[in-house]
Amino acid sequence: MSSAVPMLEVKGLAKRFPPRSGQAESPWILADLSFHVADQEFLTMVGPSGAGKSTLLNIIAQVDGANEGKIFFRGELIETANGSALHPGWNCQFGYVTQDDNLLPWRTMIDNVTLPLKLQGRFDAAARKRVDELLHATHLTGFERYYPHELSGGMRKRASLIRTLAYDPPIILMDEPFSAVDAQTRTQLQQDLLRLWNLGRKTIVFVTHDIAEAIALGDRVLVLSKSPAKIVADHRIDIKRPRDLGNLYKLEGFGDIFESVRRDLQ
Amino acid sequence: MNPRVIVDRLVVFVLVIAGWQLCSSYFGTIWFSSPWRVLDRFIDELRSGDLFFQAAYTLKAALYGSLLGGIPAALLPFALRRRPVAGAILDPYFVGGYGVPKLALAPLFILWFGVDLEPKVALVASIVSFLVFFSTTAGVNAVNSQYVNVARVFGATERDIARHIVWPGAIPYAFAGFRIAAPYAIGAAVVGELISSNRGLGFLIQSGATDFDTTLVFVSLTTLTMIVIVVNLLVGRCERWLLRWRPAQRGLTSKVIGA
Amino acid sequence: MTLAATGPWSGVYTKRSLVPVGRLAVGIALIVVWQLGTNTMGREWLPSPLDTLARIWQLAASGELARDTLVTFGEAAAGLILGGAAGAVLPFILRLSPRLMTALDPLISAAFGMPKLALAPLFILWFGIGITTKVVFVASIVFFLLFYNGLAGILSIDPRLVAMLRVAGASEWVITREIVWNTTKPFLFSGLKIALPRALSGAVVGEFIAADAGLGWYIQNARSLNDTTGVLAGAVIVTVLVMVVNAILQRVQARSLAWRPIARDMTV
Repeated sequence: MSSAVPMLEVKGLAKRFPPRSGQAESPWILADLSFHVADQEFLTMVGPSGAGKSTLLNIIAQVDGANEGKIFFRGELIETANGSALHPGWNCQFGYVTQDDNLLPWRTMIDNVTLPLKLQGRFDAAARKRVDELLHATHLTGFERYYPHELSGGMRKRASLIRTLAYDPPIILMDEPFSAVDAQTRTQLQQDLLRLWNLGRKTIVFVTHDIAEAIALGDRVLVLSKSPAKIVADHRIDIKRPRDLGNLYKLEGFGDIFESVRRDLQ
Repeated sequence: MNPRVIVDRLVVFVLVIAGWQLCSSYFGTIWFSSPWRVLDRFIDELRSGDLFFQAAYTLKAALYGSLLGGIPAALLPFALRRRPVAGAILDPYFVGGYGVPKLALAPLFILWFGVDLEPKVALVASIVSFLVFFSTTAGVNAVNSQYVNVARVFGATERDIARHIVWPGAIPYAFAGFRIAAPYAIGAAVVGELISSNRGLGFLIQSGATDFDTTLVFVSLTTLTMIVIVVNLLVGRCERWLLRWRPAQRGLTSKVIGA
Repeated sequence: MTLAATGPWSGVYTKRSLVPVGRLAVGIALIVVWQLGTNTMGREWLPSPLDTLARIWQLAASGELARDTLVTFGEAAAGLILGGAAGAVLPFILRLSPRLMTALDPLISAAFGMPKLALAPLFILWFGIGITTKVVFVASIVFFLLFYNGLAGILSIDPRLVAMLRVAGASEWVITREIVWNTTKPFLFSGLKIALPRALSGAVVGEFIAADAGLGWYIQNARSLNDTTGVLAGAVIVTVLVMVVNAILQRVQARSLAWRPIARDMTV
């Protein structure tokens, strides 16, 4: 699957926050972190809570800067540590689905979903059709005119997911997007995500602390250590797609991978 | 509503009126007027149109002052958002200005601007501006930085962020500032009129008091109270309509602050 | 491995050092503008900063300042104590009878709407132009402030806590002391914090309308004599006094409510 030039490459990334007053040095959150993602690959990263997973995605999305290291997008250098100005989303090439849905409470669901398209000046007939398809695929049709607080948690998650999918960025970063919902909704959302991913294959970097979720969704699982975060293992998941997420433990090979990832995490 | 509550409230109402009547019989109508005299006079003044005229004058001062002081004060925090150093420099002056007892400046305004509408407008503006400014600043500072980050990622420019995230997020706070300020605005206009004026409800109260026309004082006070209640209701209605995207909230805080 | 001080934050640090200088500059600029205003519009309209300061000095030297300040402070203090005590106690009494509270609700709402400052002429009519009037006037302002804040505190009591203590066999007195008082105390404090400067400016406004002593009287008297310097000097004195009171209050409150998370005066 990997072509000559990876879709995204991270080299020697390191990050620490500026020290608090009265503190000489702050600890490193990330240290010498390197990995790459191939085109159309679904990469999941699993790590303990507080391992700096969100910080890593923030840096890739260029919401935050790194202290050291480089990031390449399709072989092009997009981030060098320190100094250079940040370009959040790298010109709409990176989508970012955060832990909170971050829907704007004063906009209706549909106005939230179409906001990126409108801001990018790309809200034409084709985009409209695409949004309609996405709404339909995620069972949100009929709720367009509702305000976020009137929707259920799962619906808000799906809305925030298709807000990013609607403008079609080549890479989507996902930061534990399903962590705050109940188990049943969660399986449904994972199933929806895999189906959407199958419709138009994208490159996804999906971060989670849930081992089962990482294995169930990904083509490849990277295991992160406690902070400062480093990559301690890289597992290829050869479970056939489409996968039945309702019966994870019956999937062939799931148990073995789960065990070895669990051991890597300790 | 529970019928017992209605009866209870009626009893309270009757007791208040009876107590008032008792006071006026005991101390004399010159001090307390009487419920019937006040009602009678109220209808008279209403018919003659004088009450409308005076109330309109007071409201005009309150409204002009609120707009003159409130609108720049609501816009300033947006301008300062991207200029944290300027904000930090000016901060002690804003806090100090907020602490200045503006009502104590009323004679100064009268000296500067005469006895007409202008000094009242200036007084109202000086009070409203600080209330609106601090409320709006709280709103601008409370803008969810995650919304800003997410919007940047999907390609929003600084202008887009100001327009789609900071502005709608802070508007409720600006509006709350105006809502809190509304009774102060009317109160300040009246104080201005009490000190020196020849028109307005404050003038009516003051001239009633100097002529020992207690009935007129009570009529004007009642009118004033009713106006404030109606204005509070209208502003609250307006705010709810404007903020219909928010989940329902209890409206207690307005009572905590006011006076 | 370099420190973050050389990173993207270093620019902010250098700009931060501008703040004290900037504040000083703005202060000087304000005084310069004041002086320029004097020069362009004339002393009768806007006395110069120096003239104003000289007048304040003169008032202080002659003892007038001390006398008038004492009168105003006395009125404010007496009104604060009378109105504050009544306003703080009443919500606790009302709590004991929910029926009475509901029955009085429209009356309380109506009183809330009434601009208390407009009552001054009525009080003058009833009590004359002496000190009593101002004390009653200040008391009425303070009473409502504390009453409404106390009531808000009472209404914010968590009924589950009360139920829990009741189940544990607590008496009404224990409930009042443990839950009602502790819930309401911060509300009363913030009411008091608003009330203190208001009491002072209330006394001054009362003196504007009718008085024969006090800072408000001095200002109003100066105005009727077209003595702009006197008006400005008086306004500056009142402003400084109110600010000093505010500053002291800030100190005291920071100490006594240290256990609370950040308290904001203005909520939405």
